Amino acid sequence: MDALATVAFYLGVIAYSAACTLFFLDLARQGSPASRSTWGPRVLSAAALLHTVHVITASLVTHRCPVESLHFVLSFSALVAVAAFLVARKFASLDAVGVIVAPVALTFMVGAQFVGVEVTQDPLISRPLLVMHVTANVLGVGLFVVAGAASLLFLVLERRLQNKRGAGLGSRLPSLDTLDGAMHRLLMSGFPLLTFGVVTGALFSRHLEDASGAALARTLFGFLTWIVLAAVLLLRRIAGVRGRRAAYGTLAGVLCVLLVVAVYAVRPGGHGT
Amino acid sequence: MISVVGLSHKSAAIEVREQFALPADRIPALLTALVARPEVGEALLVSTCNRVELVAAARSGAPLEAVARASREVLSALAPGAPREALYALTGGGAVKHLFGVASSLDSLVLGEPQILGQVKEAYEVARRAGTVGAVLHRTLSRALHTAKLVRSRTAIGSGQVSVPSVAAELARRIFGDLAGHSVLLVGSGEMAETVARLLQTSGARLLVVGRTPEKVSALARSVGGEARLWADLVATLGEVDVVITSTSAPGHVIELEHVKQAQKKRRGRSQFFIDLAVPRDVSPKVQGRDGVFLYNIDDLSQVVADSLKTRSREALQAQEIIDAEVKSFDRWADAEQATPIIVALRERIRAALGAELSRSMKGRLRHLGEPERDALETMLDASVNRLLHGPTTRLREAATLADLDTPSLVELTAAIEHVFALDEEPEADLALSEPRASAAPSAVPRPEAPELASAPDVAKLGAR
Repeated sequence: MDALATVAFYLGVIAYSAACTLFFLDLARQGSPASRSTWGPRVLSAAALLHTVHVITASLVTHRCPVESLHFVLSFSALVAVAAFLVARKFASLDAVGVIVAPVALTFMVGAQFVGVEVTQDPLISRPLLVMHVTANVLGVGLFVVAGAASLLFLVLERRLQNKRGAGLGSRLPSLDTLDGAMHRLLMSGFPLLTFGVVTGALFSRHLEDASGAALARTLFGFLTWIVLAAVLLLRRIAGVRGRRAAYGTLAGVLCVLLVVAVYAVRPGGHGT
Repeated sequence: MISVVGLSHKSAAIEVREQFALPADRIPALLTALVARPEVGEALLVSTCNRVELVAAARSGAPLEAVARASREVLSALAPGAPREALYALTGGGAVKHLFGVASSLDSLVLGEPQILGQVKEAYEVARRAGTVGAVLHRTLSRALHTAKLVRSRTAIGSGQVSVPSVAAELARRIFGDLAGHSVLLVGSGEMAETVARLLQTSGARLLVVGRTPEKVSALARSVGGEARLWADLVATLGEVDVVITSTSAPGHVIELEHVKQAQKKRRGRSQFFIDLAVPRDVSPKVQGRDGVFLYNIDDLSQVVADSLKTRSREALQAQEIIDAEVKSFDRWADAEQATPIIVALRERIRAALGAELSRSMKGRLRHLGEPERDALETMLDASVNRLLHGPTTRLREAATLADLDTPSLVELTAAIEHVFALDEEPEADLALSEPRASAAPSAVPRPEAPELASAPDVAKLGAR
């Protein structure tokens, strides 16, 4: 089983690397989004499959539930991001977003190997609630990573169109409307999960009498993320703020999410230590 | 191998080219008339709005110059009043290179335009149906189309848009994606503006038309299949539409920043694309840079066109290298094909001699043999001929393709074989009568009927044959 986990990991890394290359090559090629190659998504799907095998077998080897190990939590977030992307591309011409999602997934999968400290559970925190908290956060991070990738591509294409530099012609990027719609839908899907994560996180923090600086930073960035993304969604709803400003807002929110993840990775204190 | 005779946008003005325009239903007759000439074996006509070219292959032994002369006469008959110097003639390698370049769109008026590939295919099909295409043109056209596909896949010769209307339509797609369900407002009239509007409409957009003169607007709306609106409704209509195409003759701006702000408010931040084709400009440049607003004037669009053309010109150099390599490969095949007549003649002579002997034996000592045994003997005979001639065939083809001073040339070998086997003499009566059976091994004689054009892998197989 251990050998299977290791093989799945290395093959997954190779497949993610190949997917990154294929997405970059496809983006660099001339032609419309309609003439895109499907090899990038196919290889990415294979990478995700190997990644899943790795997560399952490794958790069986270590006898740990994936949500109780930071290693698996990070790795699993990448998997969710890839799954969200692969599902989203079925509904809209979003293949170019893979050029960001694939490298992020690769980074998370490899990076997780270096932060393999277990989450130490506080005895006062309900285990089922902790599991739901982590699961919601993992799913939210995955969705926000794809939303961030879409907003980044939106800003690139919008800048090209405004500056009239080749006007994005021949580019394989999706249209602005497609990227804007994807951003919005991914935020809408991830926001309830984020809200749940923030609320349960706040409940946990009441138990943390001597919370560390890292735990405070996590909580702070968690609230900041919620406020930024709530503002993006609310302003879109009531004032029709979309396009460039919404993309910047989304990107800011996603950066906050990544900061929370970074704080976990740099100083993994878990819930209750 | 082949000759190309014709005229194109490079050699003749439209006034001359139009004299050579031939209705599609008359092309088969023209081709049939050409191949009826003793020197012409095969022919096809590439006829587009930018070129009329007769591609012809020589009948066995006929010089290509004679084929070109015959093609010129047939073409000239279409336009007796046209100047003779308008027609160019290319033969041999030059003709092949030209044809490959034409199919790859390097010789097109708009460099890299994709239609020519379909037009060349169509020319082949017309000739095939008319029965004027044989092995040579089949092979040549297959390689030409294969080369064109290589050029298109390995270079960016077809990248970008190269006309103002197509650039405008492409930009709209970059912003909105699928245009179905989006609406377009045409302000004023103008040929280019109407072309853009029609392009967007064919992509599924709804069209609205606004102008100062109600009668003109109604007429225009009817002609483009749009909905007419009053000039007074212009500002209100702006809020309803995703794309605005302006082409009025107004001396100042007809759409100001304030109008766009109002429209944006109404549209709740949804993107809007302004295509200003008017000079002086119709849309205030202050609109430029607003979030969700994209403004392109005629200079901006022309610049995109110029950039695309520049890219295509750069890519044309790389495309030319691909064509040169393919022409070289084709030339090798064509050289090897020169050995075909002598190989065929030698094979027929040997098969006939062996067949005659076998036939004699069948009537004599072997007459007791049944049908299966006779069939086996025939098969054995064919296999023996193949085996016997494998070495000579290879050497003859090598002699045709390699210019090596140390080995005899194809001409020398051909002369020697003709002399040794007396191929230049009539065979003896009993040899001439002896025909190989229907089940005989395939000969190297070109097939009388040309097949449909092969796909790329099939072409590769042909090349390997």
